[in-house]
Amino acid sequence: MVELWTTYGMEFVFIIAHIMAIIVPLLVSVAYLTYAERKIMGAMQMRQGPMTVGPFGLLQPLADGIKLFSKEIIIPSSAHRVVFVMAPMLTFFLSLIAWAVIPVNKDWALANINVGILYLFAISSLGVYGVLMAGWASNSKYAFLGGLRSAAQMVSYEVSMGLVIVTVLLCVGSLNLQDIVLVERTWWMKALLFPMFIIFLVSILAETNRAPFDLPEGESELSGGFLVEYSAMTFALFFLGEYANMILMAAMAVILFLGGWLPPFGLSGAWIDWVPGVVWFGLKTFGILFFYVWVRATMPRYRYDQLMRLGWKIFLPFTLIWVLVIAGCLLAFGALPS
Amino acid sequence: MLASLVFYTFGFILILSSLFVITARNPVHSVLFLILGFFNAAGLFVLLGAEFLAFILAIVYVGAVAVLFLFVVMMLDISFADLRKDAMQYVPVGLLVGGVLLIELTMVFMSWQASPELAQNIAHPIDAAAQANNTKALGLILYTDYLLIFQMSGMVLLVAMIGAIVLTLRGRSGVRRQDVSKQVSIKRADVVEVQKVTSGTGI
Amino acid sequence: MIQSVDVFQDIKTAMPEVATAAFALWLLVFSAFKKHQAFAVASFLSCAFLVGIIVVCFGMFGQYDEPVVAFGGLYIQDYFSLSIKMLIALGTLISLIYVYFDMKQTQIGRFEAPVLMILSMLGMFFMVSAHDLLTLYVGLELQSLALYILASFNRHSYKAPEAGMKYFILGAIASGMLLFGMSFVYGFAGHTGFGVLEEVLNGTTYNVGLTVGLAFMLVGLAFKISAVPFHMWTPDVYQGAPASVTAFFAIVPKIAAICLIMRLLNGPFGGLQDQWVQIVYALSMASMVLGAFAGLVQTSIKRLLAYSSIGNIGYALMGIVAGGADGGASVVVYMTVYMIMTAGTFGVVLSLRKGGVAVEEIADFKGLSKTSPFHAYAMTLFMFSLSGIPPLAGFFGKLVVFKAAVDSGYIVLAVIGVLTSVVAAYYYLRIIKTMFFDEEDAGMDEIQIVPYAAQHGTLVATLAVVVGFCVVPAVLIEYAEVLVRSLF
Repeated sequence: MVELWTTYGMEFVFIIAHIMAIIVPLLVSVAYLTYAERKIMGAMQMRQGPMTVGPFGLLQPLADGIKLFSKEIIIPSSAHRVVFVMAPMLTFFLSLIAWAVIPVNKDWALANINVGILYLFAISSLGVYGVLMAGWASNSKYAFLGGLRSAAQMVSYEVSMGLVIVTVLLCVGSLNLQDIVLVERTWWMKALLFPMFIIFLVSILAETNRAPFDLPEGESELSGGFLVEYSAMTFALFFLGEYANMILMAAMAVILFLGGWLPPFGLSGAWIDWVPGVVWFGLKTFGILFFYVWVRATMPRYRYDQLMRLGWKIFLPFTLIWVLVIAGCLLAFGALPS
Repeated sequence: MLASLVFYTFGFILILSSLFVITARNPVHSVLFLILGFFNAAGLFVLLGAEFLAFILAIVYVGAVAVLFLFVVMMLDISFADLRKDAMQYVPVGLLVGGVLLIELTMVFMSWQASPELAQNIAHPIDAAAQANNTKALGLILYTDYLLIFQMSGMVLLVAMIGAIVLTLRGRSGVRRQDVSKQVSIKRADVVEVQKVTSGTGI
Repeated sequence: MIQSVDVFQDIKTAMPEVATAAFALWLLVFSAFKKHQAFAVASFLSCAFLVGIIVVCFGMFGQYDEPVVAFGGLYIQDYFSLSIKMLIALGTLISLIYVYFDMKQTQIGRFEAPVLMILSMLGMFFMVSAHDLLTLYVGLELQSLALYILASFNRHSYKAPEAGMKYFILGAIASGMLLFGMSFVYGFAGHTGFGVLEEVLNGTTYNVGLTVGLAFMLVGLAFKISAVPFHMWTPDVYQGAPASVTAFFAIVPKIAAICLIMRLLNGPFGGLQDQWVQIVYALSMASMVLGAFAGLVQTSIKRLLAYSSIGNIGYALMGIVAGGADGGASVVVYMTVYMIMTAGTFGVVLSLRKGGVAVEEIADFKGLSKTSPFHAYAMTLFMFSLSGIPPLAGFFGKLVVFKAAVDSGYIVLAVIGVLTSVVAAYYYLRIIKTMFFDEEDAGMDEIQIVPYAAQHGTLVATLAVVVGFCVVPAVLIEYAEVLVRSLF
């Protein structure tokens, strides 16, 4: 027993500490992402946003949290109880474990695994289960329709997302997230990858069920979609999971396309080097998150057939061709990573 | 020690969830257990050091195939328990066949003997240099030694795709479709007509 | 045996497959964008292509005196595979002509049908050229998957999806068995290549695991050729599928599967002959007996032909049991003759339409000698040939098989074969009786003869082969012996 403790015990404590160091800032970010969203949307719509709780409404997320956690959890009598409760837990859980591989700075990741990008892609493709299970277990028409919409939508956009990732991997030659950030890209690689970046940005909107692809929730038609039967704590878990997922996807975009923790535009100098990489990473991620909110404030919701059309008839063929184009260019210029 | 603990955990949950797949009363629960099973299988792959296969298993089976399973099963209004009631009469026969097979296979494995050339043959396709990274090793073998099989598998998938379309696609009449290029290319002159209306006459 | 060195030589060696794959892909895209007459154009192009493939295979003949192994040992090209591919392409060509006219009449024709047939043929090509268990398996899957879809091609009928479903589920089980068996073999030898397996297995003494693996593989393959007791799906699938697709099922895939079994058993498993002969012996005997007796009570012509094909597989397996170059040659001859006879029989059935659909019941043949003497006499010849009456082709087919079996000392099997063909002759002759001696029913006016010259041309051609085979039997049998030499 003593031996077990000395071999694994310390390591265990260390890992737990490491995990806390990731999760706590993440949850704070999630809380303030909701605040930022309301403030930015307010500004865009000539309103002030939350103002009353604390200075500039800064304590609003906290108040929201306390409200949600102290309310009664209502489980509909005809719901499939176990699945109903498991769905939000799964969503929340998945949005957290994905962070294990995200390098927010050089060698700052819980696990620097060989196939990090596959891990991220696998976890993000599982997100659909939370929604699907919630939709089914609620035993309600609206929730069910929301679940179905979400399943179809997420599976559709995953395909083009996967191909976008493939184009990046072709240029980089590694599935390791640190390598993806660190490997130099030539100017024409950057130019070729730019359209993929745009497609990736749109796809992550669909993948996280955000406006203008928020049909699964579609409050005006489905009165909240798969969330309709959820309340209090269970709702809060969904909510936290979704926003954590947004940050995750933004981080993924930063790692794949925006150079991770490296200073932007290849800047260097004493001042620049002094800034820790994690700050750059955070700023870039926030840039993408701002884009999320910006889109939500400006775009009307897509119709279902338009959504499917965009995914299957435009993104999929385009990314497929682009994989060929990039592979061909790499071959022609002799730039294939060894 | 830890590795074997993890192995038995994964193995145990895998077997248990496989069992629940066939015994669960609700088909949706069956699919959910199937997904759990896939997960644990992926975990076993990780233990073997085959992380690429593990995540591909998770992405393809859990992320795509099982979603479609769940999608379909959720929409079915079939009581599998009722279906199973009729199937119960075949259980003795099934148990008999399964039992005989089990005994036979046990006997086979008890007396298992591999060829002396086994070790040398198994090592054959894998280049020792590429073993460091199994993603790379797989790629090197898949696109060189097994190119033909890879391409043939592509054809098999193509056939499946054609089949799905042939068996389900039907031209429906009376459906209004959106033709974006048509919408966009409409000119003002095509749809708006300005007429001079003299008062009291109408158009 | 020559090893091909680079990928370009690989492609050259596998020319028929590469061309077929490329054509199928092109045809699919081309037809998908063709708005009108896509089915007709696709069928016509496929027919032209099939003729081309036969020519290509024929042209490649001279270069393969010595078998060539390509794609790192996954693929083999020799006399045997080339000639069987010609046969398969010919069978596909005949079936395609049937399918086109049949589907045109029943109005279920879509351009995917010829594409799927070409893809299925591609799978069969790989089967006969397999030199690795993986190639064998994937080729088999490619072939079967296309067939499942073709079986349920007629979505308006309630029987067709059922047929497709049954075929699919049982086919999947068979594939599972096959893979399970292969895993045993791999577990023993550590390799899936036929060349390595042959070396490893030749030296081994009796091994339980290996034999179990072999047995499972044979069960899987027996499903695919519908040998008894793994035949249950055959009558239902034959009956449910559109008649012309049934013709395709009956004519072509069996040739590929039988040739695959021959290569597999004599190549890598040649050292285990003592073990597999017993299994194949039992399969052969059971198929012949069941094919003969179950056919007696059928009223549907498609089910009857299903049992007939089960019986015929039994005879072909007898040739495999006999073994050696003689046995192998007899199998090739038998399958060739079987293909032509069956193609002809289906040609007659498909020419007679009742309400646009090919006739289903044997009773529909009543009085055919008066309404359409040509079809009645053609059918008579095919039925005589199927029951093995000299001097028609079927007689020679059975003769070589029986001779090979007797020469190898399997006299009991040969005697059972003779007896079952006498029993089977009853139901073949019953059709002749129905055509010539039964009175017409009131509803017989409904039977119409298709007006298509191409279909009748095919019918006449098969008829000519069945009748004319007696002119040159010895040459063909000797030729078959040359073909199978590379297997032994």
